[in-house]
Amino acid sequence: MAIQLTDRELKKGSAELLILSLLEDRPRHGYEIGQLIELRSRGALRFSVASFYPLLYRLETRGWIRGRWVEKTGQRRRRYYRLTRAGKKILATQRDGWHEFVEAVGRITGIEYA
Amino acid sequence: MPDFKAEVRQSIAELDLPPEREAEIVEELSQDLEERFEKALSEGASKEEAKQLALQELVEPDSLSAQLKPVKMPSRPPSPAIGANKTRQRFAGFLDDIRFGVRMLRKQPGFAVVAILTLGIGISASAAMLSLVHDVLLRPLPYAHSDRLYAIWASSESTGQTKVAASGPDFEDYLDQNRSFVHLAEYIPRFTFTWTGDGEPKLVTCTSVSQDFFPMLGIRPFLGRLYEPREYTYLENDTLLVSYNFWKNQLSGDPHVIGRVIHFEGVSETIVGVLPPLSDLFPDTDVWPKHTVRPSWPYMKWRGNKFLRAMGELKPGVTPVMAEEDLTAILRRVPEEPRDVQVHLVPLKEDLVGNVRMPLYATLGAAALILVVACINVAALLLARMVKREGEIAIRLSLGASLPRIAQQLVTESMLLSAIGCTVGLLIGWSVLRLLARVPNLPLPRMDSVHLNAPALLATIAIATAITIFFGWISSVGFSRLNLFSALRPHGLEITGRRGLSLALLITGEVACSVVVTVTVCLLIHSFWRVIHVDPGFQPQSLLRVYLRTNYYTEKGRAFWKGVLTETASLPGVRHVALSDWRPGRDTATATFVFDDRPNDPTRLPSGEGSWVSDDFFRTIVTPLIAGRLFTEHDDDKAPAVAIINDEAARRFWPGQNPIGKHIGVNYTGPGRRSEAAPRLREIVGVVGNIRHDSLDAPAAPAIYLPYLQDETNHDMATMSLFVRADGNAMALVDSVRARIHAVEPNQPVQNIQNVADLVSQSVATRRYTLVLVGTFAAVGLLLAAVGVYGVISYVTSQRAREFGIRIALGATRGRVVSHVLRRSAILTAFGSVVGVVGSLFLTRWFSSLLFEVSPLDPFSFSAAVTILALVSIGASLLPAWRAARVDPIIAMQSE
Repeated sequence: MAIQLTDRELKKGSAELLILSLLEDRPRHGYEIGQLIELRSRGALRFSVASFYPLLYRLETRGWIRGRWVEKTGQRRRRYYRLTRAGKKILATQRDGWHEFVEAVGRITGIEYA
Repeated sequence: MPDFKAEVRQSIAELDLPPEREAEIVEELSQDLEERFEKALSEGASKEEAKQLALQELVEPDSLSAQLKPVKMPSRPPSPAIGANKTRQRFAGFLDDIRFGVRMLRKQPGFAVVAILTLGIGISASAAMLSLVHDVLLRPLPYAHSDRLYAIWASSESTGQTKVAASGPDFEDYLDQNRSFVHLAEYIPRFTFTWTGDGEPKLVTCTSVSQDFFPMLGIRPFLGRLYEPREYTYLENDTLLVSYNFWKNQLSGDPHVIGRVIHFEGVSETIVGVLPPLSDLFPDTDVWPKHTVRPSWPYMKWRGNKFLRAMGELKPGVTPVMAEEDLTAILRRVPEEPRDVQVHLVPLKEDLVGNVRMPLYATLGAAALILVVACINVAALLLARMVKREGEIAIRLSLGASLPRIAQQLVTESMLLSAIGCTVGLLIGWSVLRLLARVPNLPLPRMDSVHLNAPALLATIAIATAITIFFGWISSVGFSRLNLFSALRPHGLEITGRRGLSLALLITGEVACSVVVTVTVCLLIHSFWRVIHVDPGFQPQSLLRVYLRTNYYTEKGRAFWKGVLTETASLPGVRHVALSDWRPGRDTATATFVFDDRPNDPTRLPSGEGSWVSDDFFRTIVTPLIAGRLFTEHDDDKAPAVAIINDEAARRFWPGQNPIGKHIGVNYTGPGRRSEAAPRLREIVGVVGNIRHDSLDAPAAPAIYLPYLQDETNHDMATMSLFVRADGNAMALVDSVRARIHAVEPNQPVQNIQNVADLVSQSVATRRYTLVLVGTFAAVGLLLAAVGVYGVISYVTSQRAREFGIRIALGATRGRVVSHVLRRSAILTAFGSVVGVVGSLFLTRWFSSLLFEVSPLDPFSFSAAVTILALVSIGASLLPAWRAARVDPIIAMQSE
């Protein structure tokens, strides 16, 4: 079955990987994640609030990440997300899959990635 | 700062979220929007521009509420049940799933047909065999108190007798002294009478019964009445009950048959009743004569003349063990009985159907394994198909479908599949049973009442449910951990990891089950081959047996037999003719022996088979003479009494000695004996080879043969047969033999002319039918295994076409690619075979009673089965391997 990847699906699929990766070292809040994606992709990837948060909630529903309200002195409370044990496993497999995908694309297109 | 909270709240209002969840979302999102607003301001935007930029976030690329809708909200409390509305929704979803499932099946008709047929075959085999086992073995007899009905047998270890019937005095003792039974009855099943004076003389099959027989079973007449008690005492009365079949077929179902007079052996009998159909009880019986328990006939008064079958209904609260002790004590009070005589009660049903138990259970086992193989096959097909559908499922998941929703869809699809498979299976099973019921001479009791029954249907429904759950599970296995990336990427469809392992396990299991069934069949074939190669001790080919119910005690009787012998011997094409009461393939009358060269303990007389024969008997059936001489025409009633024994008797009674010239006395038992005179001693004049009297698979027993002209016992019911040895085709002589017999006696019924070879082969009929049934299942199992291996291997190779293309491009020869693919299937087969062989080692012991001179661990059968499986599985992989080797490297690389 041939799969037509639309921009949107590709983005949504890869967005999961991006979010999980960004939460790997430490918990972050939603705005921070969104900004980091934009920053690190040098503006190539950008999510609107309307599509980003639903994605975040979906990951939470699946039990891959967990959100918690955190109050810091002198600041208003914010919702921080951290990676769960299940999320770590998923991240590992998705990362493998992604590498394979990139390699495969590389083999076909002749582009080498560092 | 604009009021982003209000904006967010408004944009998600239509979602109708629980208040606290809504508040959380509003807080989190409005914070985000505020940050963006401030960032825009810091980058130089005006307040209004910054606000517009932030608000844009809520509607692009789709509205926030549309994006949020598919997400299950974590802190939402369970929604209140709204009853019918919700149910209707769920039901509508179910109908959608069914519609979708039908569409998926129709999209791949090849898969659908193979899966449904595979399931159908598996289910039909199981449903048919379950019905057979239930109706033949398990269904209670349709009689009153059938759970308390028992057949009564005796045994004695010291005399080696395992299943002894009762004599007249035994039965009278039981009747007078027992404290365990409500009713006791005796009966003599299936002897024959001649029906004369109503057209051409015919033989009819009789089962005579004593007074308590019908009341015990609660049988009511279909027409007329049963015998009255006084009719059992005075046998001079001339009343008769006929069977339903006899009435229907021979008396043309005449509704006014009561009072009609028919003639049996010259005696007129008035029909007083027609019995209902009795499919469980000697269904071939034509007439049911009565039988007194206190008769005047001498042969009923001899203790050793054990030919009566006895049965009884236990009193409520009396266990079979108590009753056995009761009857054993009665029998042990008789001085002539062996000291260790023991009475056994066998449930009547088991007594009537006992010898088909093992064959039926073995066949049921084979059918169950076929069902397992079929399920595994469909599971493997589904799994392979699921791999193809991974892309579809991944897209649905990424579009927001929940996992349970996907699982529900998959379970519905497998339910649809198993429901159709069950329906097809039940239809096939029903037709198979209808066909089986029409097979003539099927050695199965109660066959005419077998049908696809409720327990089989229930079991099938249970199996279908289990299959549904199993397939649903198989389908969704892996999806719970579905990796969207690997599913969506173009090369994500290779069979590796968990799924590849599942497929390999399924195929291993399938091969293992097929090995078990094939081993079983090989054992049965090996046994059957051994049985049909047993030397019967005579030549059954070109030998006719004509059953003639005429005794030889009267002058007239002797003249008849002499005439028949002379007339038929002179027919062209006839080499020899002889008489005997031996019925090939049937139980032979037993005799006990006394000797003059040793003390004879009357309670432990050795026993064996005995036959009355005419002088040319051994020449006619072609049995070798080992020592001494055969009978001659001079061994008649005026000559000294003589006997011929078989090799086994010589070996057992005179080990290491020459038995010729020794003396032996023969107590010849059986119904109708007229004289109780002590047996006279006969001189042994010859020893012949062992003849398998009963059936080919029964061990050779000691046997004695006596000239019928020297019969001092006068068997009233002796059933003599004429044996005709032909030069060529024996059946060609049937008409001329019948004509010659009628020339001697026009009123003699000559219905039963049989080829002895057929009788011998009938004696192994149960064996043959078991073999055919289990063999059919094994063939189906092999076919399914072949389909399974073919399906999986060709699927795997098609997925790896690109890899093979590369291999070939890099210089691999096509031969190497073929061997690479074959190796994979060989490994699976090897694993499966090992598991199957180990399983068989445990299972085959169970049915060792079905085997003949073959060990349940017979290495020949095991290696044959493994070889067959290996050939089938390698054969099934050849086509995919050949296809893999023909992959064009360029096309394979481009196609991806």
